[in-house]
Amino acid sequence: MGKIEWAMWANEQALASGLILLTGGIVGVAGQFRGWQFAAYAVAAGVFVCLLEYPRSKRAKGTSVERTGQYCFTVCVKAFGPLTRNYYVRAFLHAAICVPGGFMLATVLGCVCLGIASLIYLAAAIRGEHWEPILPRKEIRKPVGESIKNPPQNPPPRPPPEMRRKQAGDLEKSAYDNPMSVTDDE
Amino acid sequence: MVVSVRSWVANEGGKHFVLILWLGVNTWLFISSFLLYFTGQEYHYLYKMLGLGLCISRASASVLNLNCSLVLLPMCRSLVTFVRGTRTISSRKTRRLLDKCKTFHVACGVAICIFSVMHVSAHLVNVVRFSVRYSDDFPALNLARYRGEDPMLIILTTIPGVTGVLLVLILFLMFISSSYCVRMSNYEIFWYTHNLFIVFYVILMMHMVGGALKYQTNVEAHPPGCFRANQSSTEQQGDELDTSEEEERRCSEDAHFQPHYPQTWLWVSGPLCLYCVERFYRYIQSRDPVTIVTVIRHPCDVVELRMLKKNFKARPGQYILLNCPGVSSFENHPFTLTMCPTENKETLGIHLRVVGDWTERFTQLLLPEPRIDMEILPMAQQRRYPKVYVDGPFGGPSEEVFNYDVSLCVAGGIGVTPFACVLRALLDGWMGFRLQRLYFVWVCKELQSFYWFAELLCALHHKLWNENRPDYFNVKLYISQPDSLQILRTPPTRGRCFTDREKLQRSLKCSCWHITLRAQPQHVFQTVPLNRLTQLCPALVAFKLDTTLL
Repeated sequence: MGKIEWAMWANEQALASGLILLTGGIVGVAGQFRGWQFAAYAVAAGVFVCLLEYPRSKRAKGTSVERTGQYCFTVCVKAFGPLTRNYYVRAFLHAAICVPGGFMLATVLGCVCLGIASLIYLAAAIRGEHWEPILPRKEIRKPVGESIKNPPQNPPPRPPPEMRRKQAGDLEKSAYDNPMSVTDDE
Repeated sequence: MVVSVRSWVANEGGKHFVLILWLGVNTWLFISSFLLYFTGQEYHYLYKMLGLGLCISRASASVLNLNCSLVLLPMCRSLVTFVRGTRTISSRKTRRLLDKCKTFHVACGVAICIFSVMHVSAHLVNVVRFSVRYSDDFPALNLARYRGEDPMLIILTTIPGVTGVLLVLILFLMFISSSYCVRMSNYEIFWYTHNLFIVFYVILMMHMVGGALKYQTNVEAHPPGCFRANQSSTEQQGDELDTSEEEERRCSEDAHFQPHYPQTWLWVSGPLCLYCVERFYRYIQSRDPVTIVTVIRHPCDVVELRMLKKNFKARPGQYILLNCPGVSSFENHPFTLTMCPTENKETLGIHLRVVGDWTERFTQLLLPEPRIDMEILPMAQQRRYPKVYVDGPFGGPSEEVFNYDVSLCVAGGIGVTPFACVLRALLDGWMGFRLQRLYFVWVCKELQSFYWFAELLCALHHKLWNENRPDYFNVKLYISQPDSLQILRTPPTRGRCFTDREKLQRSLKCSCWHITLRAQPQHVFQTVPLNRLTQLCPALVAFKLDTTLL
C-alpha cells in the first residue's frame, strides 16, 4: 500500500462528481423544483469542477496517459500556479463547493460524491503529492563537442621505424615508452 | 480480406448469442414489470399517486435483481476452471465462451450502474410525489407523514431511503475505482474498493425492509375506481345512473394495502452463497504451505521460482495466485505456470518479471544481496526462503492449444509463459494430442530475453527433428530493439531471429496464407497487448483469424 498515488483516484472521482452535480442541477432547474436556485448554482459548480479536473496530472512513477484534448485545459490550469498545484487547496475548494448542493434533493448525490473526492484529495495532499502538468517533451539535442569539427591533422608521435620493428629475439629492446600518456586516468 | 459469414459465425457467433440472450432476458423483465405496475389492478391507487415513476423504478429494480445475481457467477474462478476441465462441455466453441467471463462480469456491472441511475432518479421523483400528492383517502398508502413533508427527511428517516443512499455511494466508489487508468496505475485501490461488494450485498438485502410501496390485497371486494357508499362525489349527484349499475360499482369494503415481501434475497442469496463457499474452499486449499526448491535469476529482470506442493494438479496454460505474507498479507498476484507437475517430476515453476514494488520486494526476500563483510558460505546453509502460499490453479484460454489441428501462438516478452508450459508438455510427449502443427512467434525487446527458454526451444526442436517430424514446430523469434544484435552467436537462434518489421509481416502473411489454403481448424493465441501487436504486424489483425486475447 506504500506507493499508491491517491491523487489519480481523487481526480477520477472528482470528475465524475462534477458530472453528477451538473446533471442534478440541470434536472433541478428544468423541473423548477423547490429550491431551484441551488440547482442553478450546481450547474455552474459542476462545470467548474469538470474544467478543473479534466487535465490529468503527471504520474510520479510510470507512464501518464492524458485524456483526449486535455492540452488546452492543462495550459489554463497551469496558469494558476500554486493554487492548482497544491492538493490542500483543491481539497478545501471541493469541500466548500459541495456544501450548497446538499440543500436540494436533485443535487445531494453530487454533493456527497464531491465530498468523498475532497477527502481523497486531502489524503493525497498529506502524502505530499502535487499536480504536475503533462506537457509535450521538447527534444534536447546533446551539444556536439567542438573537437568533432576539427579532426587532428597529424598522426600521434611515434618512435623512429627501427625501434618500431619488433625484434623477435630481444623483446625488452623493442619495448618503448610513449612520450605522451595514452591512458585516461589522469 | 473478406471474412466469410460462416467463419464469423464459428468464431464470434457464440459470444454474440449469449449477449443477445442476456439483453433479451433483461428487456423481458423490464417490460413485464413495467406493465404489471402500469396496468395491474392492485397497483391502481399507487399508480394514480406516483405516476410513471413507480413503473420505471420497479422495472429497473427487477433488472437490477437479475444483474446483481449474475455478476457474481463469472467470478467463481474454481468453478469456471472445473467446468473448463471436465469433458461435460465437449464442444470447443462452448468452452471458448468461458474465456469471456470477465467481459460478462463487466457487462453486468455496467448494466447495474445504468439501471441504478434509472432506479434512483425514478425513486427521487416518487419521493417528491409521495410528499406532494399525500393521499387523504388512503392514508395507509402514504410514505410521507403529512402533506408537503420535505423529501430529504423522508429519505433519511426510512430504511429504504437510508440503505439506498449507502448503496449508491458504495456503487459509485466501486465503479470509479474500476476504471481502466486506476486499475493500471494503482491496482490496490481497485481491489480494496471492489471488496466492498460484501457490504453492498448485505445492505441490498435489507433495502426492501420497511415496505415503502404497497399493493392492494382486496381487489375483488374493492375494485379500483368504485364508489364509496358513505362518500358522494359531485358527478354522482348530477348523473342519472341505473340503480343496478350503481350497486355493482359500490365498494363492499375499504381498500386494504400491504407492503411487498422482499424479493431481492431470493435472487441474490444463491450466487452469493456459491461465491462465499468457493472463496472458503480456495482459502482452505491455499493454507498448505509451499516448499521453495530453487530460485534462478535470468537475464532481463526475470526470476524463476520452482516449488513443491502436495496434491497439486495442473494443466499446461493454467495460472496460480501467489501470496507472500512477508511482502503483503492481502495481495495475491497471478503468475502463469511455466512448469506443471508431471508423474516424473512434481515441481511447479513460474517465471516472474520484476516490475513494480511487490515483485521487487519478493525478489529481495528470495535472493538477498550478498553482504560484503560476510565470508562466502555455501548457499544452502544461509538461504532462508519466505513463506509463500499458492492459490489455484485457474484455467485460461491457452489450455486449448492441443485441441486444434494447427495453432499459432504469438507471445510478447514475458507473455511467453503459458506457451512455455505447452512446449514442456510437448517435450514430454507430443503424439497423443490432436495438434498437428504449432507455429510459435515470440517478440522480445532484447536479445537476452530469449535465454529464458532457449534450452527448452532447442530441446524440443532437436527432439522433433530426431523423431522425423520437422514440420511440427515452427519458431520465429523477433526483436523490437535491434541495438543488441552484436551479441548474437548461438546457432539455433541465429537463423531464426529477425529484426525487420517487414520480414515479420511477410512471414506472418505467408504462414497465414498457408493456414487458409489448408483450411483446417486453426486458432491464434496471443499474449501481447493488441495495440503493440498491430504496430508490429498489421497483417495478423487484417487476417482476422479466430483469436483469443489472454
